[in-house]
Amino acid sequence: MGKTIDIIKQKRKVSESVKQNIKDFNAMKKKILATMEIEHKSIPQIAEELQLPLDVVTYHLMTLQKFGFIEVSELDDMDEYYFYNLKK
Amino acid sequence: MIKSEEYDVLVIGGGISGAEASINLANQGFKVLIVEKDLSVGGKMIHLSKVFPTLDCSACITTPKISQTARHPNITIYTYSQVNDIEKKSEHNFQAIVTRYPRYVKEEDCTGCQICEEKCPVVVNDQYQYDLVGRKAVYVPFSIANPRVAAIDIENCSFCGACEKACPSEAIDFSQEKIDIQINVKSVVIATGFRLFDPLLIPRYGFGKYKNVITAMQMERQLVPTRPFNHVLRPKDGKMPDKIAYVLCAGSRDETIGNPICSQVCCMYSVKQAQLLMGALPLADITIYYLNIRSFGKGFNEFYQQAKDMGVNFIKGKIGKITETDNGNLLLRYEDIIEGVVKEAKHDLVVLSVGILANQGISSMFKDTLELDPFNYIKQSDELANPAKTTIRGVYVAGTASGPMDIPDSILSAGAASAEIAGYLRLRR
Repeated sequence: MGKTIDIIKQKRKVSESVKQNIKDFNAMKKKILATMEIEHKSIPQIAEELQLPLDVVTYHLMTLQKFGFIEVSELDDMDEYYFYNLKK
Repeated sequence: MIKSEEYDVLVIGGGISGAEASINLANQGFKVLIVEKDLSVGGKMIHLSKVFPTLDCSACITTPKISQTARHPNITIYTYSQVNDIEKKSEHNFQAIVTRYPRYVKEEDCTGCQICEEKCPVVVNDQYQYDLVGRKAVYVPFSIANPRVAAIDIENCSFCGACEKACPSEAIDFSQEKIDIQINVKSVVIATGFRLFDPLLIPRYGFGKYKNVITAMQMERQLVPTRPFNHVLRPKDGKMPDKIAYVLCAGSRDETIGNPICSQVCCMYSVKQAQLLMGALPLADITIYYLNIRSFGKGFNEFYQQAKDMGVNFIKGKIGKITETDNGNLLLRYEDIIEGVVKEAKHDLVVLSVGILANQGISSMFKDTLELDPFNYIKQSDELANPAKTTIRGVYVAGTASGPMDIPDSILSAGAASAEIAGYLRLRR
Protein backbone atom coordinates (compact mmCIF):
# COMPACT_ATOMS: atom_id res chain seq x y z
CA MET A 1 0.00 0.00 0.00
CA GLY A 2 1.28 3.47 -0.87
CA LYS A 3 1.61 6.32 1.58
CA THR A 4 -1.78 7.73 2.53
CA ILE A 5 -0.36 11.02 3.82
CA ASP A 6 -0.60 12.43 0.28
CA ILE A 7 -4.36 11.85 0.30
CA ILE A 8 -4.95 14.00 3.37
CA LYS A 9 -2.50 16.64 2.17
CA GLN A 10 -4.72 17.20 -0.86
CA LYS A 11 -7.74 17.77 1.40
CA ARG A 12 -6.31 19.75 4.30
CA LYS A 13 -3.67 22.36 4.94
CA VAL A 14 -1.52 22.57 8.06
CA SER A 15 -2.73 25.44 10.21
CA GLU A 16 -0.39 28.28 11.15
CA SER A 17 -1.01 27.58 14.83
CA VAL A 18 0.21 23.98 14.43
CA LYS A 19 3.38 25.20 12.69
CA GLN A 20 3.99 27.77 15.43
CA ASN A 21 3.29 25.20 18.11
CA ILE A 22 5.97 22.87 16.73
CA LYS A 23 8.51 25.71 16.60
CA ASP A 24 7.69 26.84 20.15
CA PHE A 25 7.87 23.38 21.66
CA ASN A 26 11.14 22.53 19.92
CA ALA A 27 12.70 25.81 21.04
CA MET A 28 11.58 25.22 24.60
CA LYS A 29 12.79 21.62 24.54
CA LYS A 30 16.24 22.69 23.33
CA LYS A 31 16.52 25.40 26.00
CA ILE A 32 15.35 23.22 28.90
CA LEU A 33 17.53 20.24 27.97
CA ALA A 34 20.55 22.54 27.58
CA THR A 35 20.22 23.77 31.16
CA MET A 36 20.67 20.23 32.44
CA GLU A 37 23.72 19.28 30.40
CA ILE A 38 26.18 19.82 33.22
CA GLU A 39 24.18 19.09 36.35
CA HIS A 40 20.67 18.32 37.52
CA LYS A 41 18.31 21.27 37.98
CA SER A 42 15.06 22.08 39.75
CA ILE A 43 12.18 23.87 38.06
CA PRO A 44 12.84 27.25 39.78
CA GLN A 45 16.53 27.02 38.79
CA ILE A 46 15.63 26.38 35.15
CA ALA A 47 13.03 29.15 35.14
CA GLU A 48 15.52 31.62 36.58
CA GLU A 49 18.26 30.61 34.17
CA LEU A 50 16.00 30.90 31.15
CA GLN A 51 13.97 33.85 32.46
CA LEU A 52 10.75 31.97 31.78
CA PRO A 53 7.53 31.75 33.83
CA LEU A 54 7.58 28.85 36.31
CA ASP A 55 4.38 27.28 35.03
CA VAL A 56 5.69 27.25 31.46
CA VAL A 57 8.85 25.43 32.58
CA THR A 58 6.83 22.99 34.72
CA TYR A 59 4.52 22.08 31.83
CA HIS A 60 7.31 21.56 29.32
CA LEU A 61 9.62 19.77 31.74
CA MET A 62 6.89 17.34 32.79
CA THR A 63 6.01 16.75 29.14
CA LEU A 64 9.69 16.05 28.35
CA GLN A 65 9.76 13.66 31.29
CA LYS A 66 6.69 11.88 29.91
CA PHE A 67 8.37 11.56 26.52
CA GLY A 68 11.48 10.07 28.13
CA PHE A 69 14.00 12.90 27.73
CA ILE A 70 14.32 13.66 31.42
CA GLU A 71 14.41 11.65 34.61
CA VAL A 72 13.84 12.56 38.24
CA SER A 73 16.94 12.93 40.34
CA GLU A 74 16.51 13.78 44.04
CA LEU A 75 14.69 16.17 46.35
CA ASP A 76 16.37 19.38 47.49
CA ASP A 77 17.48 19.88 51.11
CA MET A 78 14.18 21.58 52.01
CA ASP A 79 12.12 18.66 50.63
CA GLU A 80 10.34 21.11 48.34
CA TYR A 81 11.60 20.74 44.79
CA TYR A 82 12.82 17.76 42.82
CA PHE A 83 15.92 17.94 40.68
CA TYR A 84 15.74 16.61 37.15
CA ASN A 85 18.48 15.45 34.82
CA LEU A 86 18.87 14.29 31.26
CA LYS A 87 18.04 10.66 30.68
CA LYS A 88 21.20 8.73 29.89
CA MET B 1 -25.38 3.08 0.00
CA ILE B 2 -25.56 3.28 3.77
CA LYS B 3 -24.58 0.08 5.62
CA SER B 4 -27.22 -1.44 7.90
CA GLU B 5 -26.74 -3.51 11.08
CA GLU B 6 -29.10 -5.17 13.54
CA TYR B 7 -28.82 -5.64 17.29
CA ASP B 8 -31.19 -6.26 20.18
CA VAL B 9 -30.01 -3.31 22.26
CA LEU B 10 -28.21 -0.06 21.54
CA VAL B 11 -26.27 1.18 24.57
CA ILE B 12 -25.25 4.83 24.28
CA GLY B 13 -22.12 5.35 26.39
CA GLY B 14 -19.33 2.96 27.29
CA GLY B 15 -18.66 3.99 30.87
CA ILE B 16 -19.17 1.78 33.88
CA SER B 17 -22.98 1.91 33.64
CA GLY B 18 -23.02 1.16 29.93
CA ALA B 19 -20.57 -1.72 30.41
CA GLU B 20 -22.55 -3.19 33.31
CA ALA B 21 -25.88 -3.03 31.45
CA SER B 22 -24.27 -4.48 28.30
CA ILE B 23 -22.67 -7.44 30.07
CA ASN B 24 -25.92 -8.27 31.88
CA LEU B 25 -27.86 -8.23 28.62
CA ALA B 26 -25.20 -10.00 26.57
CA ASN B 27 -25.03 -12.79 29.17
CA GLN B 28 -28.75 -13.36 28.59
CA GLY B 29 -28.12 -13.85 24.89
CA PHE B 30 -29.05 -10.39 23.61
CA LYS B 31 -26.90 -8.80 20.92
CA VAL B 32 -25.65 -5.44 22.17
CA LEU B 33 -24.04 -2.50 20.41
CA ILE B 34 -22.17 0.02 22.58
CA VAL B 35 -21.58 3.41 21.00
CA GLU B 36 -18.94 5.49 22.79
CA LYS B 37 -18.08 9.03 21.74
CA ASP B 38 -14.58 8.90 23.21
CA LEU B 39 -11.56 7.01 21.84
CA SER B 40 -11.77 4.47 24.65
CA VAL B 41 -14.47 2.87 26.72
CA GLY B 42 -14.28 3.10 30.52
CA GLY B 43 -15.84 6.53 31.01
CA LYS B 44 -14.65 8.68 33.88
CA MET B 45 -14.13 5.78 36.28
CA ILE B 46 -11.14 4.41 34.38
CA HIS B 47 -9.30 7.69 35.11
CA LEU B 48 -9.84 7.63 38.87
CA SER B 49 -7.26 6.63 41.48
CA LYS B 50 -9.28 4.78 44.12
CA VAL B 51 -12.95 4.42 44.96
CA PHE B 52 -14.58 5.45 48.23
CA PRO B 53 -15.07 4.30 50.93
CA THR B 54 -13.14 1.06 50.36
CA LEU B 55 -10.08 2.67 48.73
CA ASP B 56 -10.00 -0.12 46.15
CA CYS B 57 -8.07 0.65 42.97
CA SER B 58 -10.54 2.12 40.48
CA ALA B 59 -8.72 0.95 37.36
CA CYS B 60 -8.47 -2.56 38.84
CA ILE B 61 -12.28 -2.68 39.00
CA THR B 62 -12.93 -0.97 35.68
CA THR B 63 -10.44 -2.70 33.40
CA PRO B 64 -11.63 -6.32 33.91
CA LYS B 65 -15.21 -5.21 33.32
CA ILE B 66 -14.24 -3.23 30.24
CA SER B 67 -12.12 -6.10 29.01
CA GLN B 68 -15.03 -8.51 29.52
CA THR B 69 -17.23 -6.12 27.54
CA ALA B 70 -14.74 -5.89 24.70
CA ARG B 71 -14.25 -9.68 24.46
CA HIS B 72 -17.90 -10.70 24.84
CA PRO B 73 -19.18 -12.46 21.70
CA ASN B 74 -22.57 -10.73 22.00
CA ILE B 75 -21.16 -7.21 22.35
CA THR B 76 -19.96 -4.93 19.56
CA ILE B 77 -18.24 -1.67 20.52
CA TYR B 78 -17.92 1.40 18.32
CA THR B 79 -15.62 3.96 19.90
CA TYR B 80 -15.15 7.52 18.60
CA SER B 81 -18.71 7.32 17.31
CA GLN B 82 -21.97 9.14 17.84
CA VAL B 83 -25.63 8.24 17.63
CA ASN B 84 -28.16 10.44 15.91
CA ASP B 85 -31.71 10.37 14.59
CA ILE B 86 -33.02 7.63 16.88
CA GLU B 87 -36.56 6.98 15.76
CA LYS B 88 -39.12 4.61 17.21
CA LYS B 89 -40.76 3.03 14.18
CA SER B 90 -42.98 0.75 16.22
CA GLU B 91 -42.82 -1.25 19.45
CA HIS B 92 -39.47 -3.09 19.66
CA ASN B 93 -38.33 -1.36 16.49
CA PHE B 94 -35.93 1.57 16.71
CA GLN B 95 -33.81 2.93 13.91
CA ALA B 96 -30.74 5.12 14.41
CA ILE B 97 -27.74 6.46 12.55
CA VAL B 98 -24.32 5.83 14.08
CA THR B 99 -21.51 8.00 12.77
CA ARG B 100 -18.05 6.48 13.13
CA TYR B 101 -15.40 9.18 13.02
CA PRO B 102 -12.01 8.36 11.51
CA ARG B 103 -9.11 7.64 13.87
CA TYR B 104 -6.79 7.58 10.81
CA VAL B 105 -5.43 4.38 12.32
CA LYS B 106 -6.61 0.90 11.40
CA GLU B 107 -7.88 -0.52 14.70
CA GLU B 108 -7.31 -4.10 13.62
CA ASP B 109 -3.67 -3.46 12.69
CA CYS B 110 -2.46 -1.10 15.45
CA THR B 111 -0.52 -2.86 18.20
CA GLY B 112 -0.37 0.17 20.50
CA CYS B 113 3.44 0.17 20.35
CA GLN B 114 3.55 4.01 20.39
CA ILE B 115 6.46 4.24 17.94
CA CYS B 116 4.33 6.74 16.01
CA GLU B 117 4.18 8.94 19.13
CA GLU B 118 7.97 9.05 19.32
CA LYS B 119 8.18 10.32 15.75
CA CYS B 120 5.36 12.88 15.91
CA PRO B 121 6.66 16.47 16.20
CA VAL B 122 3.43 18.04 17.48
CA VAL B 123 2.73 18.54 21.20
CA VAL B 124 -0.68 19.67 22.44
CA ASN B 125 -2.45 19.50 25.81
CA ASP B 126 -3.25 15.97 26.97
CA GLN B 127 -6.98 15.98 27.70
CA TYR B 128 -6.71 12.64 29.50
CA GLN B 129 -4.30 14.24 32.00
CA TYR B 130 -6.61 17.25 32.26
CA ASP B 131 -4.10 19.53 30.49
CA LEU B 132 -1.36 19.13 33.10
CA VAL B 133 1.10 17.83 30.47
CA GLY B 134 1.28 17.50 26.71
CA ARG B 135 0.65 14.66 24.29
CA LYS B 136 1.48 14.07 20.65
CA ALA B 137 -0.90 14.63 17.74
CA VAL B 138 -0.83 10.87 17.15
CA TYR B 139 -1.42 9.17 20.45
CA VAL B 140 -2.68 6.20 22.40
CA PRO B 141 -5.25 7.95 24.64
CA PHE B 142 -3.93 6.46 27.89
CA SER B 143 -2.08 3.35 28.96
CA ILE B 144 -5.14 1.28 29.92
CA ALA B 145 -7.33 2.53 27.07
CA ASN B 146 -9.60 -0.02 25.44
CA PRO B 147 -9.08 -0.43 22.56
CA ARG B 148 -5.39 0.31 23.12
CA VAL B 149 -5.10 1.79 19.68
CA ALA B 150 -3.59 5.06 18.50
CA ALA B 151 -5.59 7.89 16.97
CA ILE B 152 -4.59 10.99 15.06
CA ASP B 153 -5.80 14.38 16.25
CA ILE B 154 -6.28 15.62 12.72
CA GLU B 155 -6.91 19.26 13.70
CA ASN B 156 -3.42 19.40 15.23
CA CYS B 157 -1.63 17.17 12.72
CA SER B 158 1.28 18.64 10.77
CA PHE B 159 0.83 16.08 7.96
CA CYS B 160 4.54 15.31 8.04
CA GLY B 161 3.87 11.61 7.50
CA ALA B 162 6.47 10.55 10.09
CA CYS B 163 3.98 8.31 11.90
CA GLU B 164 3.02 6.51 8.72
CA LYS B 165 6.68 6.00 7.82
CA ALA B 166 7.51 4.67 11.28
CA CYS B 167 4.52 2.40 11.91
CA PRO B 168 5.82 -1.20 11.82
CA SER B 169 2.35 -2.66 11.20
CA GLU B 170 1.31 -0.12 8.54
CA ALA B 171 -1.72 0.85 10.61
CA ILE B 172 -1.76 4.56 9.80
CA ASP B 173 -4.40 5.35 7.21
CA PHE B 174 -5.04 8.99 6.32
CA SER B 175 -7.58 7.93 3.70
CA GLN B 176 -10.18 7.09 6.37
CA GLU B 177 -13.41 9.07 6.31
CA LYS B 178 -16.41 9.17 8.60
CA ILE B 179 -18.90 6.40 8.04
CA ASP B 180 -22.65 6.45 8.73
CA ILE B 181 -24.25 3.15 9.66
CA GLN B 182 -27.98 2.55 9.99
CA ILE B 183 -28.74 0.60 13.14
CA ASN B 184 -31.93 -1.34 13.77
CA VAL B 185 -32.50 -2.26 17.42
CA LYS B 186 -35.31 -3.36 19.68
CA SER B 187 -34.40 -1.20 22.66
CA VAL B 188 -32.10 1.65 23.67
CA VAL B 189 -30.14 2.34 26.88
CA ILE B 190 -28.94 5.85 27.66
CA ALA B 191 -25.78 5.55 29.73
CA THR B 192 -24.19 8.84 28.76
CA GLY B 193 -22.89 9.75 32.21
CA PHE B 194 -22.21 13.29 33.33
CA ARG B 195 -19.95 16.24 32.66
CA LEU B 196 -17.85 18.06 35.23
CA PHE B 197 -18.64 21.61 36.21
CA ASP B 198 -16.33 24.14 34.57
CA PRO B 199 -14.83 26.22 37.42
CA LEU B 200 -14.01 29.06 35.00
CA LEU B 201 -17.66 29.97 35.54
CA ILE B 202 -16.81 31.08 39.09
CA PRO B 203 -14.01 33.64 38.47
CA ARG B 204 -13.62 34.46 42.19
CA TYR B 205 -12.03 31.02 42.70
CA GLY B 206 -9.21 32.02 40.37
CA PHE B 207 -9.16 28.79 38.36
CA GLY B 208 -7.34 29.36 35.08
CA LYS B 209 -5.75 32.51 36.47
CA TYR B 210 -3.80 30.97 39.34
CA LYS B 211 -2.03 27.76 38.31
CA ASN B 212 -2.11 26.36 41.85
CA VAL B 213 -5.90 26.30 41.86
CA ILE B 214 -6.76 22.95 40.33
CA THR B 215 -9.83 20.75 39.99
CA ALA B 216 -10.37 17.54 41.93
CA MET B 217 -10.07 15.62 38.65
CA GLN B 218 -6.59 17.11 38.13
CA MET B 219 -5.72 15.99 41.66
CA GLU B 220 -7.21 12.58 40.91
CA ARG B 221 -4.78 12.24 38.00
CA GLN B 222 -1.90 13.23 40.26
CA LEU B 223 -2.84 10.37 42.59
CA VAL B 224 -2.87 7.56 40.01
CA PRO B 225 0.20 5.48 39.08
CA THR B 226 0.09 6.89 35.53
CA ARG B 227 0.26 10.42 36.91
CA PRO B 228 1.29 13.41 34.80
CA PHE B 229 4.06 14.46 37.22
CA ASN B 230 6.60 12.35 39.10
CA HIS B 231 4.86 13.08 42.41
CA VAL B 232 1.98 15.19 43.73
CA LEU B 233 3.28 18.62 42.73
CA ARG B 234 2.03 22.15 42.22
CA PRO B 235 1.41 22.86 38.51
CA LYS B 236 2.84 26.35 38.87
CA ASP B 237 6.36 25.50 40.00
CA GLY B 238 6.67 21.77 40.66
CA LYS B 239 6.87 22.27 44.43
CA MET B 240 5.61 19.54 46.74
CA PRO B 241 2.58 21.13 48.41
CA ASP B 242 2.36 21.07 52.18
CA LYS B 243 -0.78 23.06 52.94
CA ILE B 244 -3.62 21.93 50.72
CA ALA B 245 -7.19 23.25 50.78
CA TYR B 246 -10.30 21.61 49.34
CA VAL B 247 -13.24 23.81 48.39
CA LEU B 248 -16.43 21.77 48.44
CA CYS B 249 -19.62 22.53 46.53
CA ALA B 250 -17.66 24.24 43.72
CA GLY B 251 -20.44 24.30 41.13
CA SER B 252 -23.03 22.44 43.18
CA ARG B 253 -25.84 23.68 45.46
CA ASP B 254 -25.43 27.09 43.90
CA GLU B 255 -28.40 28.83 42.27
CA THR B 256 -26.15 31.57 40.90
CA ILE B 257 -24.44 29.21 38.48
CA GLY B 258 -27.62 27.31 37.65
CA ASN B 259 -26.98 24.10 39.57
CA PRO B 260 -28.93 24.15 42.83
CA ILE B 261 -28.63 20.41 43.54
CA CYS B 262 -26.03 18.38 45.42
CA SER B 263 -23.63 16.39 43.23
CA GLN B 264 -23.66 13.52 45.75
CA VAL B 265 -20.01 12.52 45.29
CA CYS B 266 -17.87 15.60 45.99
CA CYS B 267 -17.78 15.29 49.80
CA MET B 268 -16.67 11.69 49.68
CA TYR B 269 -14.19 11.98 46.79
CA SER B 270 -12.59 14.94 48.62
CA VAL B 271 -12.37 12.91 51.84
CA LYS B 272 -10.88 10.07 49.80
CA GLN B 273 -8.30 12.32 48.14
CA ALA B 274 -7.42 13.85 51.51
CA GLN B 275 -6.67 10.38 52.87
CA LEU B 276 -4.63 9.44 49.81
CA LEU B 277 -2.70 12.71 50.04
CA MET B 278 -1.83 12.00 53.65
CA GLY B 279 -0.20 8.84 52.36
CA ALA B 280 1.58 10.57 49.47
CA LEU B 281 2.58 13.67 51.46
CA PRO B 282 2.81 12.59 55.11
CA LEU B 283 3.84 16.04 56.34
CA ALA B 284 1.13 17.97 54.50
CA ASP B 285 -1.75 19.77 56.25
CA ILE B 286 -5.05 19.23 54.52
CA THR B 287 -8.11 21.40 55.15
CA ILE B 288 -11.55 20.77 53.73
CA TYR B 289 -13.86 23.79 53.57
CA TYR B 290 -17.44 22.53 53.49
CA LEU B 291 -21.04 23.66 53.79
CA ASN B 292 -22.38 20.29 54.96
CA ILE B 293 -20.65 16.92 54.82
CA ARG B 294 -23.05 14.54 53.13
CA SER B 295 -21.85 11.09 54.14
CA PHE B 296 -25.08 9.25 53.40
CA GLY B 297 -23.94 5.91 51.96
CA LYS B 298 -22.82 2.64 53.49
CA GLY B 299 -19.55 3.18 55.33
CA PHE B 300 -19.39 6.85 54.31
CA ASN B 301 -19.67 8.33 57.79
CA GLU B 302 -16.98 5.97 59.10
CA PHE B 303 -14.82 7.03 56.16
CA TYR B 304 -15.33 10.69 57.07
CA GLN B 305 -14.50 9.98 60.72
CA GLN B 306 -11.40 8.10 59.59
CA ALA B 307 -10.20 11.19 57.69
CA LYS B 308 -10.74 13.30 60.81
CA ASP B 309 -8.80 10.78 62.89
CA MET B 310 -5.98 10.88 60.36
CA GLY B 311 -5.71 14.64 60.93
CA VAL B 312 -7.66 16.15 58.05
CA ASN B 313 -8.93 19.56 59.19
CA PHE B 314 -12.62 20.25 58.45
CA ILE B 315 -13.85 23.86 58.48
CA LYS B 316 -17.51 24.68 57.96
CA GLY B 317 -16.91 27.69 55.79
CA LYS B 318 -18.00 29.33 52.56
CA ILE B 319 -15.19 30.56 50.35
CA GLY B 320 -15.64 34.15 49.19
CA LYS B 321 -12.52 34.71 47.14
CA ILE B 322 -9.16 33.15 46.35
CA THR B 323 -6.20 35.39 45.56
CA GLU B 324 -2.57 34.61 44.81
CA THR B 325 0.08 35.92 47.18
CA ASP B 326 3.82 35.27 47.29
CA ASN B 327 5.48 32.31 45.54
CA GLY B 328 2.22 31.06 44.07
CA ASN B 329 0.63 30.59 47.49
CA LEU B 330 -3.06 31.31 47.80
CA LEU B 331 -5.08 33.33 50.25
CA LEU B 332 -8.58 32.02 50.95
CA ARG B 333 -11.08 34.51 52.29
CA TYR B 334 -13.98 32.64 53.84
CA GLU B 335 -16.92 32.89 56.17
CA ASP B 336 -16.47 30.67 59.21
CA ILE B 337 -20.08 29.51 59.50
CA ILE B 338 -19.75 28.22 63.09
CA GLU B 339 -18.20 31.44 64.46
CA GLY B 340 -20.02 33.73 62.04
CA VAL B 341 -16.93 35.73 61.12
CA VAL B 342 -14.92 36.31 57.97
CA LYS B 343 -11.44 34.83 58.11
CA GLU B 344 -8.44 34.37 55.86
CA ALA B 345 -6.15 31.37 55.51
CA LYS B 346 -3.03 30.74 53.43
CA HIS B 347 -2.59 27.53 51.45
CA ASP B 348 -0.09 26.50 48.81
CA LEU B 349 -2.48 24.45 46.68
CA VAL B 350 -6.26 24.70 46.33
CA VAL B 351 -8.38 21.87 44.97
CA LEU B 352 -11.87 22.74 43.74
CA SER B 353 -14.26 19.85 44.39
CA VAL B 354 -16.21 20.46 41.22
CA GLY B 355 -19.73 19.20 40.88
CA ILE B 356 -21.31 17.07 38.21
CA LEU B 357 -23.82 18.21 35.63
CA ALA B 358 -26.11 16.60 33.11
CA ASN B 359 -24.62 15.92 29.69
CA GLN B 360 -26.20 18.05 27.03
CA GLY B 361 -27.64 17.08 23.70
CA ILE B 362 -28.97 13.65 24.66
CA SER B 363 -32.63 14.38 23.97
CA SER B 364 -31.76 15.82 20.56
CA MET B 365 -30.47 12.39 19.51
CA PHE B 366 -34.12 11.26 19.50
CA LYS B 367 -36.75 12.16 16.93
CA ASP B 368 -39.44 11.42 19.53
CA THR B 369 -39.69 13.59 22.65
CA LEU B 370 -37.40 12.35 25.38
CA GLU B 371 -38.30 14.34 28.45
CA LEU B 372 -35.71 15.76 30.82
CA ASP B 373 -36.08 16.61 34.51
CA PRO B 374 -35.69 20.22 35.75
CA PHE B 375 -31.91 19.74 35.98
CA ASN B 376 -31.57 18.40 32.43
CA TYR B 377 -31.03 14.78 33.44
CA ILE B 378 -33.09 12.11 31.68
CA LYS B 379 -36.55 12.05 33.27
CA GLN B 380 -37.44 8.77 34.96
CA SER B 381 -41.12 8.28 34.18
CA ASP B 382 -41.69 5.86 37.09
CA GLU B 383 -38.82 6.57 39.47
CA LEU B 384 -39.82 4.28 42.32
CA ALA B 385 -41.22 1.18 40.60
CA ASN B 386 -39.29 1.24 37.31
CA PRO B 387 -36.33 3.61 37.76
CA ALA B 388 -34.83 2.92 34.34
CA LYS B 389 -37.95 3.79 32.36
CA THR B 390 -37.91 7.03 30.37
CA THR B 391 -40.75 8.83 28.68
CA ILE B 392 -40.24 6.74 25.52
CA ARG B 393 -41.30 3.11 25.92
CA GLY B 394 -38.35 0.89 25.04
CA VAL B 395 -35.76 3.55 25.93
CA TYR B 396 -34.10 3.12 29.32
CA VAL B 397 -31.63 5.12 31.38
CA ALA B 398 -28.69 3.85 33.43
CA GLY B 399 -26.28 5.56 35.81
CA THR B 400 -25.63 9.28 36.11
CA ALA B 401 -27.54 10.10 32.93
CA SER B 402 -30.57 10.06 35.26
CA GLY B 403 -29.00 12.18 38.03
CA PRO B 404 -25.93 12.50 40.24
CA MET B 405 -24.90 9.25 41.93
CA ASP B 406 -21.77 7.38 42.99
CA ILE B 407 -20.21 4.33 41.35
CA PRO B 408 -22.03 1.58 43.30
CA ASP B 409 -25.36 3.31 42.67
CA SER B 410 -24.50 3.67 38.97
CA ILE B 411 -23.81 -0.05 38.76
CA LEU B 412 -27.06 -0.81 40.59
CA SER B 413 -28.91 1.53 38.25
CA ALA B 414 -27.37 -0.24 35.24
CA GLY B 415 -28.46 -3.58 36.74
CA ALA B 416 -32.01 -2.28 37.10
CA ALA B 417 -31.95 -0.99 33.51
CA SER B 418 -30.75 -4.32 32.12
CA ALA B 419 -33.44 -6.21 34.07
CA GLU B 420 -36.16 -3.88 32.79
CA ILE B 421 -34.88 -4.15 29.21
CA ALA B 422 -34.72 -7.94 29.40
CA GLY B 423 -38.36 -7.92 30.53
CA TYR B 424 -39.31 -5.55 27.72
CA LEU B 425 -37.50 -7.62 25.09
CA ARG B 426 -39.03 -10.89 26.34
CA LEU B 427 -42.51 -9.46 25.79
CA ARG B 428 -41.73 -9.84 22.10
CA ARG B 429 -40.18 -13.32 22.17
